Amino acid sequence: MAENPYAKLQALVVDDFESFRITLSKMLQNFGVGMVDSAASSNEAMRYCSAKVYDIILCDQNLGKGKTGQQILEVLRHQPNLNSDSLFVLVSAESNKNIIMAAYDYEPDAYLTKPITGQTLGQRLERLFKQRLALAPIYNAIKEKAFETAVSLCETEITSGSRYTSPCQKILGKLLLQLGELEKAEDLYRQILEVRQLDWAMLGMAQVKKLQGDSLSAQQWLEEIIQFNPLCLKAYDLLADIMAERGDSQGQQKVLQQATEISPLSILRQQQLGDVALKNNELMLSANSFRKAVKLGENSCHDDVVFHEKFSRSAIEFSKTDKNAATQALRDALKIAAEIPNRFGKTNKNKINSYLLESQLHAVSGEDRRSAEALLNAQKLMDADDVANDLDLKIEFVKALRETGNTDKANKIVSELLSEYADNEEDLQKIDCLLEEPCSTKNKAFVAQINKDGIAYYDAKDFSRAIDCFTSALQSLPQHIGMRLNLVQALLGQFKKEPGNRQLITNMQFLIDYIRKIIPDDHVQFRRFRQLEDVLRGIASEKPVN
Amino acid sequence: MSDNIKNNSNTISADHKMNEESQEVSFSFVLASSVHDMKNSLGMLINTLADVMSKYPPQNQEHAKSYSVLEYEAARINSELVQLLSLYRLDHDNVRVHIDEVIVVDILSEQIARNFQLLQSRNIELMLECDEDLIGYFDSDLVGGVVNNIIVNCARYSKQKLKISAQKTIEGLCISIEDDGPGYPDDMLNASTFAESRTNFAGGRPHLGLLFANKVSQMHKDKSHQGFIRLSNHSDLGGGSFKLFLP
Repeated sequence: MAENPYAKLQALVVDDFESFRITLSKMLQNFGVGMVDSAASSNEAMRYCSAKVYDIILCDQNLGKGKTGQQILEVLRHQPNLNSDSLFVLVSAESNKNIIMAAYDYEPDAYLTKPITGQTLGQRLERLFKQRLALAPIYNAIKEKAFETAVSLCETEITSGSRYTSPCQKILGKLLLQLGELEKAEDLYRQILEVRQLDWAMLGMAQVKKLQGDSLSAQQWLEEIIQFNPLCLKAYDLLADIMAERGDSQGQQKVLQQATEISPLSILRQQQLGDVALKNNELMLSANSFRKAVKLGENSCHDDVVFHEKFSRSAIEFSKTDKNAATQALRDALKIAAEIPNRFGKTNKNKINSYLLESQLHAVSGEDRRSAEALLNAQKLMDADDVANDLDLKIEFVKALRETGNTDKANKIVSELLSEYADNEEDLQKIDCLLEEPCSTKNKAFVAQINKDGIAYYDAKDFSRAIDCFTSALQSLPQHIGMRLNLVQALLGQFKKEPGNRQLITNMQFLIDYIRKIIPDDHVQFRRFRQLEDVLRGIASEKPVN
Repeated sequence: MSDNIKNNSNTISADHKMNEESQEVSFSFVLASSVHDMKNSLGMLINTLADVMSKYPPQNQEHAKSYSVLEYEAARINSELVQLLSLYRLDHDNVRVHIDEVIVVDILSEQIARNFQLLQSRNIELMLECDEDLIGYFDSDLVGGVVNNIIVNCARYSKQKLKISAQKTIEGLCISIEDDGPGYPDDMLNASTFAESRTNFAGGRPHLGLLFANKVSQMHKDKSHQGFIRLSNHSDLGGGSFKLFLP
């Protein structure tokens, strides 16, 4: 009698419905699987997975509260753990697997559609274990970082025309890209594409082109994939990377917006979109994206306190341009900021950070008393603890001081920081966001360049490009008065072209209001500021042109 | 259980605002959501039925017959729901055919396994003729749905035998499903010869299965060819023959 091949296997079944759990467990036992555990929730599943190694995990996609099946997979695959190599089978009632796959970067080993019968499951398991056995030498070579061996094993499998040709081609392509063997990778993908336009091969080709420095061809490939399969989110990701490399942050934002519309559940894309929108001064979009990223973070291994802080930052900036529209964002940001210590650990640093953000959020909402209170709480903790030496916290402290009107004290700390970190270029770059004129070598050059570009566009009457230039520079150097005045002037130029565009007037007013708050009377640009203020007042009082 | 449809509600509600026929849009959305829920319940029902049948094997002919009716009707509802959802998706969401390289025999065995119990209780002998290494390029979810639907249909009409086969032909990859039943009625045969095969609602039964199969076949195309279906009563087994050709 043949030995039961499954006798030694350990399996885990995850489903929130008891009857499904029982049915699936029974099926597995009928095949002779030695040990079957079952979990009713994502939390329970994570507990099992951190305690025990499973050969196979059968997991429902929708588990009610907590993580989805895909998010459990994400945790298991994201970093090494007991079950990073387990076979993972995702189960769902959804008959189109691409809809579920779209949001995530990790693919399960198999996908099963409910209703599942004993026969379907048995057959699929047999196929999975056979494939795992056949490809084991390749996976082992990769695990031992013997990439050359893995490459030649893949090649042998492919030339023999095995039934695993397709998975081997996918692995081989990735290996070649990783090894920088671009010509070989290109040959491989080209051969595949000569037979059929498969999106993964087109994606591989785009990667090859990007690595070869031919970003235009890469872009063409990617746009073709998107046209052909709008759910292929990896194509949007790569396209967004290309835009970012080119410094085209508008383009990057547009691509990420498309991707997040298709798949609103992807946290990494929401985080990126929040960043790029902040850079582009699209503050509402930025605040919304960070809010979503924070929300998704509850169940994701990609959550980071940085994005909780950035949500506050974007909400504060947003409220400075449009207080009414930002009300909800401010309210949510306050809640999120207050939860930081609970969420990320009750360290003094987190507590201080949380108070400083609260203080600024209250200040821009006009809640002066609460703002002062939060600031006081932060200060108490800072005085008592040596985390006060943390530069990030000090920068945040200065911002809070400024928001609450403690300008002199803020300026005193800034000058202390400048002498303390005078020799450290990286730290100086961080401090630059508090200064009118940057002090780090990098940002000095950056300002000089972007001002030059912006002014060149302005002189050529290409006002919209000039606006983009100044806007993006102000994101890293919000205190730069000269740059802000340049932006007002560029907007003025654009307004002369489109006299009906009231939005431009609103934008200019916000800028002028912002400058009024920070400009000292003896500033070299004070006269220029007053002149622009007058011009704007004149325009704003004119009747709108029909 | 309907998280995916909910996730897509952004796009749908955006349509809703812009679309003049918003009534219709929201209705079809509700329909799709409830189809999704029905499918879940049906999954439970099918599994419970299988449980009951193994615990209490049929005692006589009559029992066996009742069981097999239950099974057939459940399988039929399931395959119709899958079709409905797929059609909805193709019309409303960003879902396109997703072509990948697949091993044909895997896809066919999967659909056979899905209906194993049904065929067994109806005493239908199933033959699968397909080269182990035959490769196809198609959307395995959509084509799997078509094959499933035809198998369920054949389970109702076959007498004893059902043959599923696949091979490469000059017209493309051909998946055929043949039975030894009474064959397809004339109105269906005629409908399938029209390129734009509209279903025959006037004839009483809208052949949703054919509409779906036809739509799926046509969505598979390469530079110069398009998929199609061919229905006939020229079967090796003496009954109906359904052929799906994919480029």
